[in-house]
Amino acid sequence: MSAKQIQNSRLHWLGRQLFNREDPAAYLDLLLERINPMWVQGYTPARVEQIIQETADTRTFVLKPSRRWSGFQAGQHVNIGTDVNGVRQHRTFSLSSSPELWQQQGLITLTIKRLPGGLVTNWLHDHLETGSVLGLGDAFGDFLLPESGQPLLFIAGGSGITPILSQLETMAARDYLAPVTLLYYVRTQADIIARDRLEALASRLPDLTLNIIATHAQEQPRYLNGQDLEAVPEIQSRQVYLCGPGGLMDLAGTLLSSQGVTEDRIHCTFFSAPVVDTANLNPGGLVHFDRSHLDVDSEGNANLLDIAEAAGLNPKHGCRMGICHQCSCRKSSGTVINTLTGKVSGPGEETVQLCISVPRGPVTLDI
Amino acid sequence: MKKMNEAQLAELEQDLNAIRDDVLADLGERDALYIRRVIRLHRSLEIAGRVMMPFGFIPPVFVAATAALGLSKIIENMEIGHNVMHGQYDWMNDPSLHSLTYEWDTVCSGDSWRRTHNYEHHTYTNIIGKDRDYGYAVLRLSEDEKWRPTHALQFINYVLLSVFFQWGVGLHELEAERLHSREIRLRDKIPFIKEFLRKGGRQAFKDYVFFPLITFPVAPIVLAGNVCANLMRNLWSSTVIFCGHFTQDAETFSEQECEGESKGHWYLRQMTGSSNFSGGKLVHLLSGHLSYQIEHHVFPDLPAHRYPEISERVQEVCRKHDLPYNTGSFSHQYGTVLKRILAYSLPDAMRRKLPQLTSGQPI
Repeated sequence: MSAKQIQNSRLHWLGRQLFNREDPAAYLDLLLERINPMWVQGYTPARVEQIIQETADTRTFVLKPSRRWSGFQAGQHVNIGTDVNGVRQHRTFSLSSSPELWQQQGLITLTIKRLPGGLVTNWLHDHLETGSVLGLGDAFGDFLLPESGQPLLFIAGGSGITPILSQLETMAARDYLAPVTLLYYVRTQADIIARDRLEALASRLPDLTLNIIATHAQEQPRYLNGQDLEAVPEIQSRQVYLCGPGGLMDLAGTLLSSQGVTEDRIHCTFFSAPVVDTANLNPGGLVHFDRSHLDVDSEGNANLLDIAEAAGLNPKHGCRMGICHQCSCRKSSGTVINTLTGKVSGPGEETVQLCISVPRGPVTLDI
Repeated sequence: MKKMNEAQLAELEQDLNAIRDDVLADLGERDALYIRRVIRLHRSLEIAGRVMMPFGFIPPVFVAATAALGLSKIIENMEIGHNVMHGQYDWMNDPSLHSLTYEWDTVCSGDSWRRTHNYEHHTYTNIIGKDRDYGYAVLRLSEDEKWRPTHALQFINYVLLSVFFQWGVGLHELEAERLHSREIRLRDKIPFIKEFLRKGGRQAFKDYVFFPLITFPVAPIVLAGNVCANLMRNLWSSTVIFCGHFTQDAETFSEQECEGESKGHWYLRQMTGSSNFSGGKLVHLLSGHLSYQIEHHVFPDLPAHRYPEISERVQEVCRKHDLPYNTGSFSHQYGTVLKRILAYSLPDAMRRKLPQLTSGQPI
């Protein structure tokens, strides 16, 4: 450890003694927040600098994170946290700007579409204004560009364009030299997100072929088809990046394999976690909440977080899709099924993520 | 205790559940703003107290600094710590206000408190032999415990317990009386003792070593002020807590009558075993709303600042079911507590000969 690290760890020890908390730096947050919300220490604050209306239901939020934020790579996501009616909510969004913008101007962008009935996306649209502050998590995700200049094919649907915008911006900033094709599927012309940015990118990246397809412009829907892929030169030698709704992803997977594109060349990222059907694994069982002295019987696909909440408990939680690990909790015994992987856990003591764990037989949790 | 049949108990349960459901459905921004405002008040008072304390060689400043620090400790322990650890704000999903991880500014560790208070005391409230909070195994407060000569001096024990209250609460889980009777062995308590030393050491280090030392030339003044602030908190929290269950009419229960009880019976026990005291907004804040002890025991995990409005509906339920609602002014309730401590320090035969000790009025 360097002298500075030793000094920091000593200060942290002292802070824990004085303020009785693991994050002593956050002790005065509620007072500091009143003076300047960007001084908060409990989470990384990010201030809304500008809001751009992309389409009728999509906005791009330009954020200025505090300088201590650790940065990101093109194609990654972040969790953002905000209080909605007194309850802290966390959701995951793809960054739609390039790391260069963050390095040079300290800015990032999130492009967010209203989800029908969605609590957080609608709240963000209705309540965020210039000067509002959000909590920002560390970036994560492996939807990353290849190191060298290989030919690429991007297939995006709807707001699935967001991580790809970040990647294209990055490639433009780094003068990427290789053929790149973007097939972008939107419902109608009015739903194209960041049209101006895409056109500007096409002129900055001479090898970029931009093909925007409206699926519902005519009466007969026009989805991704084999011809779209056949029109892409040397498709087998390309790295393929997919981001969009489940239907498009499945269709693309089938069509790509019939074009001879091998699976190791296909990179996917999801809007929402794909859920494994656990029905054939005998899900359900008696959940014992040890600290609360409560037993709850569960049936079917209900995950531990839902079971706990239905029983009136309020365990810590975040994204509800197995990403952020805020709901991680000690399981002292019992077997659970991971709904992301379909894998069945061992019976012993371990940490599980409540939101993606379905009990299989009796389970005891340290809640 | 008033006897109710199972059908009546089920109705009582339904009536109280309805209140609870209404409040749960209404939780939101208002509660979040409230608790955060209280936290800002606490932090401001603590900073004010700590900053003024080194200038305590000026007598009025000493008084102001001690009062600010003492009040800050009272607010943190009563309205923030106690209530957050009950899970009253868990629904906010704010990691710094979560019941499982909150650690408060007192000797008793959060984990020990969650075991002895949240679980034992709130589950087995006023069941003699099961609720170790009933008299804290130091005081005899009902006939259910046999009189022994040592009880004659229990008022002194009460004063000592109040003065050193945070240490008493911290050591509660040691179960000294059961160690003494050899029911349990010291070696089983080693993990607890380690935890106690760690947290107790941390608290003593902060108030009695660190802050006096960094203001070295005036260390004795800072030390004295910190001792007084802790004493202030000890006396007040002890008094509030004694008013919650040891007033004249607060009932006690036997293990037998509570075996396999229904939720309705648990509600009945909480309502008849607890007592409130009235007061202004400040008194309620400083007591962590334990002045609404009945409401707190019926709904321990609803945000406490809601108790005043819940109280109206709880009183309605009491009238409907013909149940007592034990409340009175602070001085009246505390008077009956002192009388109870004195009364049960005497052998039963002698106590019964002194009607002024057994009537419902304070001395």
